[in-house]
Amino acid sequence: MYKEMRLVDTVRIPPGKLGSKTEDVIKEALEEKLEGRVDKTLGSIVAVTKVVGIEGGRILAGDGGVYYTATFDALVYVPEMQGITEGNIVEVAEFGAFVCLGPLDGLLHVSQIADDYISYDEKNARLVGKESGKSLAEGDSVRARIVAVSLNEHEPRESKIGLTMRQTALGKLEWLEEMRKKEAEEAK
Amino acid sequence: MDKFDKKYTRFEKARIIGARGLQIAMGAPVLISTKSYDPIDIAMLEFEKGVIPITVKRMSK
Repeated sequence: MYKEMRLVDTVRIPPGKLGSKTEDVIKEALEEKLEGRVDKTLGSIVAVTKVVGIEGGRILAGDGGVYYTATFDALVYVPEMQGITEGNIVEVAEFGAFVCLGPLDGLLHVSQIADDYISYDEKNARLVGKESGKSLAEGDSVRARIVAVSLNEHEPRESKIGLTMRQTALGKLEWLEEMRKKEAEEAK
Repeated sequence: MDKFDKKYTRFEKARIIGARGLQIAMGAPVLISTKSYDPIDIAMLEFEKGVIPITVKRMSK
């Protein structure tokens, strides 16, 4: 889920940038420092949208930079446990598929795709169900639940998000559509 | 008393000129027109003209 947060942080403004408008320079510095960063308590910071307040402007001994404490609004992506997300499959591997959730990718393990035996079709780079014939390939849209979150602050790329689709109303969007049609027919 | 009526003490003056000189040396825009290339010289000239955008926060008085 995306959230808008009001945060406070200290940034260093290098002396070369002191001539420009403080607010713009601070926004730029915050963007450079925080965008793309992953924080364990906050989540993944997507963008710094607005600088709300600037405090201070401290000069430390031995450093020509000026340190400002800024209050700002940021757009943050938080992968929440048990949260439902939709995304596209970006990569298929033998052990599962990677789903793009936005700023981060989640792993959908083969055992968590459907109530079926799923095998890997190497030639077509897709995962196929043995009994149902359901298939999952790159580019498919899926709805899944987040069941594991492990964020790595130092290496954002190493962050791991585990997904499952083995629950009702989860799966590839086409499967869900089929289910709905079937149910409607049975109701008649 | 006039000796103590100055705005800054000699320690504060040194700190301000030092900090400003370092900023100029590291590429901060100069606020006066001068032919000098020495950042400390420029900082001292700026201090005399009173254009340095630095204030001193005194903890107690």
